[in-house]
Amino acid sequence: MPKLQEMAKKEAAFSSGHRLCAGCPVPIFTKMLTRVTDYDIVVGSATGCLEVASSIFPYSAWKVPWIHTAFENAAAMMSGVETLHKVHRRKNKTDKKIKCVAIGGDGGTYDIGIQSLSAAMERGHDLLYICYDNGAYMNTGIQRSGATPLGAATTTTPVGTVVAGKQQQRKDLTRIMIAHHIPYVAQASIHNPVDLSNKIKKGIEIDGPAFLNILSPCIPGWRIAPDMAVELAGLGAETCFWPLYEVEDQNFKVNYEPKKKLPVTDWLFTQGRFRHLRDAKWSHLVQDFQTRVDQQWDWLLGRQAATK
Amino acid sequence: MCGNEALAEAAIIAGCDAYFGYPITPQNEVPAYMARRMPQEGRVFVQSESELAAISMVFGASATGKRAMTSSSSPGISLMQEGISYLAGAELPAVVVNVMRGGPGLGNIAPSQADYFQATRGGGHGDYRTIVFGPSSVQELVDCMILAFDLADQYLMPVMVLADGILGQMMEPVVLEKKTSRELPAKDWALTGAKDRDQNIVRSLWLKEGALEAHNNKLQARYEQIQRDEVLCEQYEVDDAEIVVVAYGIAARIVRGAVTRARAEGIKVGWIRPITLWPFPTEEINKAADEFRIFLNVEMSSGQMVEDVKLAVAGKTPVAFHGRPGGGVPTVDEILDKIRQLTLRAKIPV
Repeated sequence: MPKLQEMAKKEAAFSSGHRLCAGCPVPIFTKMLTRVTDYDIVVGSATGCLEVASSIFPYSAWKVPWIHTAFENAAAMMSGVETLHKVHRRKNKTDKKIKCVAIGGDGGTYDIGIQSLSAAMERGHDLLYICYDNGAYMNTGIQRSGATPLGAATTTTPVGTVVAGKQQQRKDLTRIMIAHHIPYVAQASIHNPVDLSNKIKKGIEIDGPAFLNILSPCIPGWRIAPDMAVELAGLGAETCFWPLYEVEDQNFKVNYEPKKKLPVTDWLFTQGRFRHLRDAKWSHLVQDFQTRVDQQWDWLLGRQAATK
Repeated sequence: MCGNEALAEAAIIAGCDAYFGYPITPQNEVPAYMARRMPQEGRVFVQSESELAAISMVFGASATGKRAMTSSSSPGISLMQEGISYLAGAELPAVVVNVMRGGPGLGNIAPSQADYFQATRGGGHGDYRTIVFGPSSVQELVDCMILAFDLADQYLMPVMVLADGILGQMMEPVVLEKKTSRELPAKDWALTGAKDRDQNIVRSLWLKEGALEAHNNKLQARYEQIQRDEVLCEQYEVDDAEIVVVAYGIAARIVRGAVTRARAEGIKVGWIRPITLWPFPTEEINKAADEFRIFLNVEMSSGQMVEDVKLAVAGKTPVAFHGRPGGGVPTVDEILDKIRQLTLRAKIPV
């Protein structure tokens, strides 16, 4: 696997001058895309923060071929690109092997894009789909998504006297993707560059479909200070809200096991979107949150043990 | 109040039982407002996972006889077309708000009037129409919303309210009240449980030979009635005008400024402002074209409503066009210049 020092010498796929928010951690992984692999890549984006902020006409932050059409279809669009490339190779129009990467936020992946994602994975395209999960529709001004955690305040799950933010638990998309039995599924986070770059490399270079879910704290959406994204992502792993793990051909490997699993409140109460949960009135929500995290972590350890 | 919040509150006043929506700029204030207000009223707010889901939720809620609405902006409205066609086919009332932005494709988030064709021609597949409002102030937006729910229930069809990025975002004082009320037919077709009555069937599928044609003829007869009874438009100083400017929505607000200044310069100019875009004020425009006048159509598109103006004028007098597509907003000066140019032509009958 590449060393970070060597990686840093290569040109990044993503240049500065983009218009993502100050402190947004998304460029941490977009810059890695070309640095981790020797393959040439084509990137396709779903509508979202990254897409808008990297392509405000007439500028582009992308130093690789980049394509965007709509919100619900990044995986379908890249299926088309990948298939065309396959045909070109078959007809000897090129002997170069190009790799395809689709990128969507949680709105474009968990919700409106899940149909096209699922189908692309099932058809078996040679494609890495990266979801940067910031837990809501941040680009349109913080509306809840299928990835928004229980209790989070968003503009469409406001906090009042009767309800406290989102009333449902988030869906576990990574597990849904594991159920597709594709060659590679992983969960990573922007605070751990070694783990993250390894997973991007594997996802790009593996033959066949791969899915990578990256926890990506959002400064305005999580109501945190611009210097807190990395810290919050780290706490996601330390509390096991966001376990770092990978599944290769149904073999589970947990990449990071905290020595002492922190309570979820350490993660929740550092974010403004969960501020109301400190009120004892909502302690049952915090308990439900903890229970889900515990169940997910136990399940994961169980799967890892079964793999061994 | 900003237009988006005002239209949401208007829907609540109109008795909207359920709002279903999906995030898209520049109408996000609508779902955010509804997320707070609908539960307070004991009514329904659901954020869907896509526009396709939102319009399908509207279909489901409407079939039960409840008042349901959704809102979106241009690309999202495109995704809803299948559902709108099904609503029209199944004769279900619904209110759909389109806070238009620049297109085609992802376009931009600037105000636009480029979805006129899509809205007034039905938009989805099949022979159908939707009633379409093109309000030009926040107050009119509120009034149109309230009327839209009544018309949807009266004629059993989806009604669209076309706003745009400016109208959705701009703030104006509004009076929030239901000014008129209609006698509406009972919703005896609604799916409320068939205990102690014959079952109701809500459908858009007609397979028996001739059945779909008969169904379509029934819809067309209804559309003819709407064209007779429901046209709304505003006219200003048309009687002595040599030039008549036709514009709707936010473009009409800019036209008003240009016409006022042109009148001050002594140019005989008036305006006709369609409030319903379908049914279109064809007769009013046709009548105004009985005398020789040059029509100037101003739109924030490459020229869509101008086709309806030309159909209404029916070749009797010339129709000029000034349009700004892709989120461009015409200025008062721009329109005034156009009016000045046309005065040269107005004096020489063709």
